[in-house]
Amino acid sequence: MIKTANLQKIFTTEEVETTALNGIDLEVKDGEFVAIMGPSGCGKSTLLNILGLLDNPSEGSYDFHGTEVAKLSERQRAQLRKGNIGFVFQSFNLIDELTVYENVELPLLYLKVPADQRKEMVETVLTRMNIMHRRNHFPQQLSGGQQQRTAIARAVVAKPKLILADEPTGNLDSANGEEVMKLLSQLNDEGTSIIMVTHSPYDAGFAHRIVNLFDGKVVTEKMRV
Amino acid sequence: MREGIGQWSSAFSAMPKIHTAMLSNYLTIAFRNLWKNKVYSFINIMGLALGMACSLMIMLWVQDETAMDAFHENGTRLYRVMENQYYSGKIETYPSTPGLLAENIVKDIPEIEKASQMLWEEQPLFTVGTTFDKEKGRYVQGDFLTMFSFKLEQGDARTALKRPDGVVISKKLAQKYFPNQNPLGKSIRIDGKEDVMVTGILKDIPKNSSLKFDFLMSFDRWLKNNPWAKEWGNNGPRCYVMLTKNASLDKVNAKIKGYIKTKNKDSNVEIFLQSYQESYLYSNWDSGKQNGGRIDYVRIFSIVAIVILLIACINFMNLATARSVKRAKEVGVRKVIGAVKGILIGQFMGEAILIAFCALLFSILLVFLLLPTFNLLTEKELSLNFTDPSFLVVLVSLTLITGLVAGSYPALFMSSLNPVVVLKGSLKFKPSATYFRKGLVVFQFALSITLILGMIIVHEQINYLRTKNAGYDRENLLYMPLEGDLQKNFASFKQELQHQPGIKSVTCSQSDPLEVGSSTQGVKWPGKDTTQLLLFANNAISYDYIKTMGIQLIGGRDFSDQYGTDTTNYIINEASAKKMGYKDPVGKEMTMWNRKGTIVGLMKDFHYNTLHSAIEPLILRLQPKTENWGVVIIRAEGGKTPDAIANTEKVFKKFNPNFPFKYFFADQEYANQYKSENVVNKLSNYFAFLAIFISCLGLFGLASFTAEQRTKEIGVRKVLGASVSNLVGMLSLDFIKLVLLATLIAFPVAWYFLKNWLEKYAYRIDIEWWYFAIAALSAIAIALLTVSYQAVRASLMNPVKSLKTE
Repeated sequence: MIKTANLQKIFTTEEVETTALNGIDLEVKDGEFVAIMGPSGCGKSTLLNILGLLDNPSEGSYDFHGTEVAKLSERQRAQLRKGNIGFVFQSFNLIDELTVYENVELPLLYLKVPADQRKEMVETVLTRMNIMHRRNHFPQQLSGGQQQRTAIARAVVAKPKLILADEPTGNLDSANGEEVMKLLSQLNDEGTSIIMVTHSPYDAGFAHRIVNLFDGKVVTEKMRV
Repeated sequence: MREGIGQWSSAFSAMPKIHTAMLSNYLTIAFRNLWKNKVYSFINIMGLALGMACSLMIMLWVQDETAMDAFHENGTRLYRVMENQYYSGKIETYPSTPGLLAENIVKDIPEIEKASQMLWEEQPLFTVGTTFDKEKGRYVQGDFLTMFSFKLEQGDARTALKRPDGVVISKKLAQKYFPNQNPLGKSIRIDGKEDVMVTGILKDIPKNSSLKFDFLMSFDRWLKNNPWAKEWGNNGPRCYVMLTKNASLDKVNAKIKGYIKTKNKDSNVEIFLQSYQESYLYSNWDSGKQNGGRIDYVRIFSIVAIVILLIACINFMNLATARSVKRAKEVGVRKVIGAVKGILIGQFMGEAILIAFCALLFSILLVFLLLPTFNLLTEKELSLNFTDPSFLVVLVSLTLITGLVAGSYPALFMSSLNPVVVLKGSLKFKPSATYFRKGLVVFQFALSITLILGMIIVHEQINYLRTKNAGYDRENLLYMPLEGDLQKNFASFKQELQHQPGIKSVTCSQSDPLEVGSSTQGVKWPGKDTTQLLLFANNAISYDYIKTMGIQLIGGRDFSDQYGTDTTNYIINEASAKKMGYKDPVGKEMTMWNRKGTIVGLMKDFHYNTLHSAIEPLILRLQPKTENWGVVIIRAEGGKTPDAIANTEKVFKKFNPNFPFKYFFADQEYANQYKSENVVNKLSNYFAFLAIFISCLGLFGLASFTAEQRTKEIGVRKVLGASVSNLVGMLSLDFIKLVLLATLIAFPVAWYFLKNWLEKYAYRIDIEWWYFAIAALSAIAIALLTVSYQAVRASLMNPVKSLKTE
C-alpha cells in the first residue's frame, strides 16, 4: 500500500539546515498496523506528515497505492488525501465552533456525500465510538477521552484505507488511552491500515510491527510475535 | 503573482460547486464565530458599517450632483453661451451676453434651432386683489419651454411665453393667488405697475434641476424696461441655445466665435457654447480655460468616500488576521480532511462578504438616521430609495466590493497556513506578513492624519475668512431693496428714517454692500496707455455711503451736498490709484463714461466682493437721484438693532404700503457667502473623526494580535524582572513608531493638497508648522490610548500562564 525509497527531508531556515529524515525506506502493507517510535526530534512526526501527504519530501520516492506522490502539488495531495487517509492527533484538533456531529460530518461534506447517506454514516460511527449521546455537544464540553473518540470517528467516517495517528494517547489518562488503543486495534482488525507514532511501548504493543527511528534513519524494525 | 491569480480563479471556480450542506456548514461556523467573539465582531462590523454608511451618503450626494439637469429631453442639444472677455493680460469668462443675442443668433446660425435669453433670478412684487408678496422667478423667451423640459400642467408650452404679457406660474403660486379658481387667463399686477396674464401652470420642477423658479415671464418685456441690455457692448442676461440634431459643437463654436464683433466692431468679446448639463458642475473658468467648479467637490468627496471605505476595509483585514490565530486550527483540520486552498479562500471571502452584508444593514440604519442632518447640511433632498433598481445595484456592489477588498488579504493569508504547523499549535507569523499588516496600519494612519490636517487647515481658513477685517464695518449694518415708491421718495424716506431712535445713518447704492457686480472699461485719465483694456468695478452711491458703510478714507472727503459738482466727481480705492499711477490721487482728473471730473476721495482698500477674489480697482460715483434699482443701507447704533428694525419697518410701511418688508443683515449675508466652505468645514470634521475612529479600531485589533503573539516573550521578560511599566512602554513604543512613520508620509501629501486648496483664495492663511504638530500629537495620543489597554492587559498577565501556552 505504501512504499518509500530513500526519503529525505531537510528543513532550511536562514542559517541552519536540519536533516529531519535521512534516507527512509519503508513499506506498509494493506491491513498492517505499524508503530513508529524513537526519541524526541528523531523525525517521527515529519515522516508521518509526509506519509499523510501533508508535506512533500525533499528527495526520494513515495508510492501511495501505486501512485508516485513525492512531487505532487498541494492541491493534488489534498485531493488524494480526501477520503483515503484519516488523521488522529495527540491534541485531538476538533473545531471548537462545531458540535461533535458537525465535526464528524465535515470530511463527508468535502467528499460531497448526499445528505441521507451522510446522516447514516455519521450516526453509525458515532454509535460505534459510543458518543452518540453527546452528538450535539461542543468539544469543550467533552472529556479528553470523548474528544479523542470524536476525533477517531472523524478520521474513520469516510472509511479511509489508512489511518495516521500521532501519539493518540499522549493527552489521555491510562483508562481512556486503553480504550482508544482498543478502538484502533478493532479498526485494524476490520482491514484499515494504521501507522501510529508513539512514545509509549505499551501502545506500540498493539502494532504488528515497530519501526525505530533515530536521527532521521530507521535503526531497527521489529515484528510483534 | 501568477500563483495568486490562479488561487483566485480556483476560488471562484470552486464556488458554484459548493453544495448547500457545505454552505450551511460555512454559515454555521461563521455565525458561531461572530457570536462567540462578540466584542471583536462588534468592532469589526461597526467599523465597516461606519465606513459604508459614510460612503453610501457620499455616493448618494455624488449621484445627485452628477444627475443634475439630466432630465431635459433635449439635454444633449442644450448649450449655454459663454463669453471670453479679453483685457490686458487676462481673459475673464462669464455666462453674460448682450440681451439681443438669442433672437439674432438663431436667425444667423443655421445649426442653432432655438435660442432663449434668460435673466438672473428676480424677485418682483406680485399683487392679486389684497394678496401680495415677492416671488422668485425668471424672465425667459418664447422657445424656453420647448427647449427645456419644464412641463406645463395647464397651458400650451409652445405659446405660453410668446406674448409679452404672459406669465407661467407654479402650482404653489396658483394656489396662493388664486385659491380654488382656474388661474388661466387671470391677471397679476407686477411691481405695482404692469399687469400680466397667466398663460400656464407649471408642473413641479424636478428635484435635480439646478434652475428653480416659481414663475416665468417674458424677457422681452424686461428688455423694454432695461434698454441698456439692448446694446451689443453691454453684457448681462444669459443666453441658451438648442442645436439641431446633427450639429457639430466644434463647427458651431468656430462659427460663432467672432459673432459679437460682427455686431459691435469694438468688442473685446468672443463667445462659445458650453453643454447645459455640464454647466452645473463645471462653472469655473481661468484664463479662458475650464477650471472645475462643483466637480471639484464631487471629486474630493468621492476620494474621501473611497479613503474611508478603504480605512474600514484595512481595519477588517487587520482584525481578521489578528483573529486568524484562533481560526488556524480550523484551517489546519479542514486542510487535513481534504480542503484545497481555493475552497478555503472561497469560504473566508464568503465570510467577509457575509460580514460586509451585516455591516450594510447597520450602515443603512445609520444612513437612515443621519440623512436628515446630512440633507440639512448639504441642502439636498437625498433619500434611500429601495424601489430604485440602480440604488439596489449600488448597495449590492458596495457590499461585494467591501467584502472582497476587506476579505482578500485574510482569505489569502489564512488559506495559506500550513496545517502541519498550525496543528502543532505553534503558529508563528513570517516577518513579511507582519510587515504587511504594519504597513496597513501605517497607511491607515497616514490617511487619517491627512484628514486631520485637512480638518485643521480648512477650519483655520474658514475662521480667517469669517473674522477677517473686510475694510468696512459689517456689524449692525442692514440693507433692503430700494423698490416701489421708495425709489422716487428716497430723500424724504431717508430724512424720516434718520430721526428714528436706533438709526445712525442711511444711504443707498446701486450694488449691495457685499458685492459690487458692475464693471467698466470706460475709464480714462491723463497719461493713460490707451492701448490697454482695463476693467474698473464701479458703484453708484448716494450721500453718506462712506460713513454708513464704515469705510476708511485715507485722503480727501466723502461726497457731500455742500458741493454742487460732486455728481461728476469720483471716489476711488487704493487699487485704482495704483492702476492709474497716482501717488496722491485726490484732486486729480479722471473721466468715466465721458463724464470728466475730479477724484475727491481715496478709500483704503476694502473687500467689496468675497475673499475668493483679490481687491480690484473700484470707483464710486454719486447718483443722488435714485434710479429704478438698488439697495437702502442702514447703520444701526450698536446694541439697538431691534429698535432700528422696528422703526425702519414703521417708516417703510408708510412709504411703501404695498410691498412686504424684507431686510438683510450684512454680517449674516457675509457668512452666507462662505456657505460651501462651511459645509466643507463641517464635513471634513466628521470625516476626519470617522477616519481616526475607524483607524483606532484597527490599531486596537493589531495591538491585541501583537500582545497575543508576544505572550511568551512577555512572560520571559517578566520572569527576568521586567516591570509592568517597562512592558507597557515596550509594547506601546512599537505602535508609536508606526504612527510616526505615518505622519512622515502624511505631511507632504497633506501639504501638497491643502496648499492647492488654499490657492483658490486670494486671501488665505499660511500653513503653520504647529498645524502639523497638532495633527501628529493628536494621532499619537489617540494611538497610545488605543494600544495601552492591550499593552497593560498583556503586561499584567501571569507569566506562569503565558509560558505554559507554548
